[in-house]
Amino acid sequence: MTQATFFVLTALADQPRHGYGILREVEDLSGGEVRLRVGTLYGVLDRLTADALIVLDREEVQQGRLRRYYRLTDDGMRALTAEAERMAAGASAAQQRIAEGRRAPERPVTPPATGLGLAGGLA
Amino acid sequence: MTTLLESRYRMVLRLLPAYYRREREEEMVEIYLWDVDRETQDQSRPTLGEVASIAALALRTRLGAAGAPRPYDRLGAAVRLFALFAVLLQAASVVVDRVLGLTWAATHGPAQWDMYVSGFTARGPALAVAEVAVWALPLLWTVAYFALLHGRLRLARVSALLAALPTLWPFLAPLVSTWFPPSTAFTTTSALFSWLTALALCAAHHRDAPPASLPVGTPGLAFAACGVVMGASVVLLPLAADTVWAPATCFAVGALGWLLWRARRDDRSTACGAIALAVLGLLLLTVRVAALYPWLGTPVPALVLGGALVQAGILSLLVAVLAVVGGRDLAAAR
Repeated sequence: MTQATFFVLTALADQPRHGYGILREVEDLSGGEVRLRVGTLYGVLDRLTADALIVLDREEVQQGRLRRYYRLTDDGMRALTAEAERMAAGASAAQQRIAEGRRAPERPVTPPATGLGLAGGLA
Repeated sequence: MTTLLESRYRMVLRLLPAYYRREREEEMVEIYLWDVDRETQDQSRPTLGEVASIAALALRTRLGAAGAPRPYDRLGAAVRLFALFAVLLQAASVVVDRVLGLTWAATHGPAQWDMYVSGFTARGPALAVAEVAVWALPLLWTVAYFALLHGRLRLARVSALLAALPTLWPFLAPLVSTWFPPSTAFTTTSALFSWLTALALCAAHHRDAPPASLPVGTPGLAFAACGVVMGASVVLLPLAADTVWAPATCFAVGALGWLLWRARRDDRSTACGAIALAVLGLLLLTVRVAALYPWLGTPVPALVLGGALVQAGILSLLVAVLAVVGGRDLAAAR
């Protein structure tokens, strides 16, 4: 699952949203790291719709303009849950390693082997 | 009232196919104009990034994205097959060319070997690097071919683009060395062939497209068969200066075999194959003619000239037959 796909699914996890709402939510969720362009967003929406992970929830016309709201399907929620669990497991493993690294005693500094030592047999 | 910015966005959205615009245009315009102050809309323009993202979406939707109407679906399938066949042809051609060249240089005495090596070293270290790159990079067509058939799309794309790069060298070399400008028609058509192949691969074999697969045979078998046909064609009729001979012969044999195989099938699911082969054949014919044309006024051996002329004739015939078959299959499939 790509980063864009993951964030779009996440943006739709709590409630149906329209295109602009998804863009804003993705930006917020990613702390401003992911800013989807409209072409990219619709590429992702097309793919998710084809995979039946999202569906059209409803259409509204506001000030003469069309807003389409999309929502997650059950399959979409399952895919997002699985991806979130996979990422959480990876993050947990990384944090454990980081903690172990901090707890480990400092290793003694080994002097670098020199060409002379290896070749001349001085060691 | 429509603002200038809205008109500009609608202009950009015209890159998208009509079916997609009918479905999505209003929704997309709504997003574009959402947080733009109406007072400033006449002074704003779509950014380059926005245009690029719509262009990429347009390409993807035209080449058979999920849910696309049948004509776009067929177009996408044809471009994908074209890319696959063209990558296979170039991969086998480069490997055969390098193997035959090395074998010839290594088995015809020290003078021949020295001449082969001096092709890289005679012009100084800087140009030697360029010559080695021009010799080695096209071998990446093979990486692109196997990567494509094993679903490694990014590797396939990067390999194909790198493999196509050396076709630009003849245009650059006269600028940085004392080389003469290239024979324009042949160099241009060769570069066009390589770049069209690489671009077709990049555009049509995207993440949403079905995985690449050969209509017949396994990847290794198809590659080996192409190599054998190309090698045999050069051994039977050695044409040292004719780099088009082997791939064009292989295409002719492959296309003929495909037509016979297709004639035994009742369904018309192979329509895209005929179109893809017709386009590939047309490109090869163009390169064939471009390579042949400069020989017409020079004392080229009759065997070489005759062989190339016969090959051009066979290619023309095959392209015509494939185009007719493809057209009929498409009409029947509608």
